[in-house]
Amino acid sequence: MPPIIDRKKCVGCGTCADICNSNIFVFDRAVDKVPQVRFPEECWHCDSCVIDCPKGAITLRIPLAFTLLHVNADELKPQEAK
Amino acid sequence: MIPVSKTIEADVVIVGGGIGGPMAAIAAAEAGAKRVVVLEKCNVKRSGSGATGNDHFSCYIPEVHGDDVEPVLDAVMGSLIGQAKDREIMRLHLLESFDIVKKWEEWGINMRPLGRWNFQGHALPGKPRAFLKFDGRKQKSVLVEQMKKHGVTILNHHPVVELAKENGRVCGALAIDASTPTPSFVLVKAPNVVLSTGLTHRLYLNGSTPNYMFNTAHCPNNAGGQALGWRIGASMVNMEIPYTHAGTKYLQRAGKATWIGVYRYPDGKPLGPFVTKPDPEYGDVTSDIWNSAFIDVMQNGRGPAYLDCSQNTPETLAYMRKAMFDEGLSALIAYMDDKGIDPAKHAVEFTRFEPILHGRGLDVNKDGLTTVPGLYAAGDMVGNAGCGLGLAAWLGWRAGQAAARDIPEMTDCDLAENPAIKAKMELLSSFMERENGADWQEANIALTQIMSDYANVGPYKVRSESLLKAGLTYLAQLRRETAENLKATCSHTLMRAAEVLDLFDCAECIMRSALERKESRGNHKRSDYTFTNPLLADKMLDVTRNDDGTVTTSWRNQR
Repeated sequence: MPPIIDRKKCVGCGTCADICNSNIFVFDRAVDKVPQVRFPEECWHCDSCVIDCPKGAITLRIPLAFTLLHVNADELKPQEAK
Repeated sequence: MIPVSKTIEADVVIVGGGIGGPMAAIAAAEAGAKRVVVLEKCNVKRSGSGATGNDHFSCYIPEVHGDDVEPVLDAVMGSLIGQAKDREIMRLHLLESFDIVKKWEEWGINMRPLGRWNFQGHALPGKPRAFLKFDGRKQKSVLVEQMKKHGVTILNHHPVVELAKENGRVCGALAIDASTPTPSFVLVKAPNVVLSTGLTHRLYLNGSTPNYMFNTAHCPNNAGGQALGWRIGASMVNMEIPYTHAGTKYLQRAGKATWIGVYRYPDGKPLGPFVTKPDPEYGDVTSDIWNSAFIDVMQNGRGPAYLDCSQNTPETLAYMRKAMFDEGLSALIAYMDDKGIDPAKHAVEFTRFEPILHGRGLDVNKDGLTTVPGLYAAGDMVGNAGCGLGLAAWLGWRAGQAAARDIPEMTDCDLAENPAIKAKMELLSSFMERENGADWQEANIALTQIMSDYANVGPYKVRSESLLKAGLTYLAQLRRETAENLKATCSHTLMRAAEVLDLFDCAECIMRSALERKESRGNHKRSDYTFTNPLLADKMLDVTRNDDGTVTTSWRNQR
């Protein structure tokens, strides 16, 4: 589950861990330069970490259960509009 | 025992650094309060429901709306937002909100992305529109900058878990220092506390993803803050009148009004009578007026309901996409781009979410003052007013100013010996000392089960005296079990455990309020009182926890 940190891009600044809206990261430089996503199920997908990461190292993966249900809009057009 | 690492004194302490909290802090400092402290659970840079943006600010601008505020007020009061609110506070909010808008613009928030005062969405065709479209992406960084300029002390990663009262007045707060995995307590002595913790989620089974508690339309970390006021005797109002938000399914990223389209049945027929083609000016207000629309169409088999934006011009679709960024929906946009979901081609299903405490909570006056001297509230946690971000900003400002005008000499209150603070420190410490036990999720999920079975909301679920009384009994059992069994392992899980304790109190307040409202009103459906009592149409129900733990209910006239 989200977020995913690209280890190659991460410089270990800890910004994501500091600003996370849900406090889902744990960051201890002595253990790892890359923050650990310790509580992924508490992610709110607010995108703060993605926006604030100075190296663009973070992406969100939206869980399968959160799939956005959609259909082709043409199927919904009222008869007169088709 | 978890140690106390710091004791601080303040003139005004603010709980929650979202929108209302920073506004209260800046106003208090500007009005002369010397020691203003903001205690924030996460980090003020990105905390709360407005973390990454917002695109609509409720306000009245005479040069746009004309000299009479009443039609604008009527429009707000007639919508879901105005449901069971005090008209006089809402009027004052509209009258003074332009001053706040101008302040935000001066500070650097883009209040006129189109170069003019642009009001759109959440409105009936032909009626005044009360929501100013703006670009809120910088709102948090600007508010933080202003707090710093005004010398406000900000303590990030400091969730507040209890308040203290002495001689009838609030006298301080207990926070957890959660900045490291090992928690400590922080005591903040202050004669004024402004609560601005936002709305409350995680009381009911999640409406779109029952297995995931944090898939919410607003900040899921706002959980139970109303209980801080409840426990020290502040009156609560509207707790029994359910509020449910609506939006995309299954991902609960909100911004409902940011979408410009038409709600349609699968056969293309519009759900509501208001628009047949997308209208950027008014949006499709159907779900604001017909709150249960998306659940009704599932129950009667005519659904699902879709939002169809495909008839917009490319220019309007580009405008909508930009507004979604302003609203803070960049994660949704990135996801849709990645999956090839294009509003020009696809219709997205909408649903109704679970009940939340939004505009339900503390009963306040026009300065945000609660019924407890020195205790203020602002924003979505207020029960008798509500208008999202605009109200939070305005009422936070007023609360900060009022608090700064009333800074008495502090008595020699020893927070560590205050009975409520002491009991909470002991309980939370016991969670950390336990070797084996239940985690906080177990207790939170158990609560959502009880609320969804015994205090659920209409139109398809009912409440009754026997159900609510059973719910209160089961809640009391859950409280005991939780106190005896909960285990926390670090400052983060301790924070969550404290939230669950707050949620328990919110749940109790909801059920006690629902018991007292012996009628059906809105989605408060009583199977034993199926009618709506006209004699209660202009009344508000106050529910108050007394110092001895008993609960008092009383009715007052709407103001």
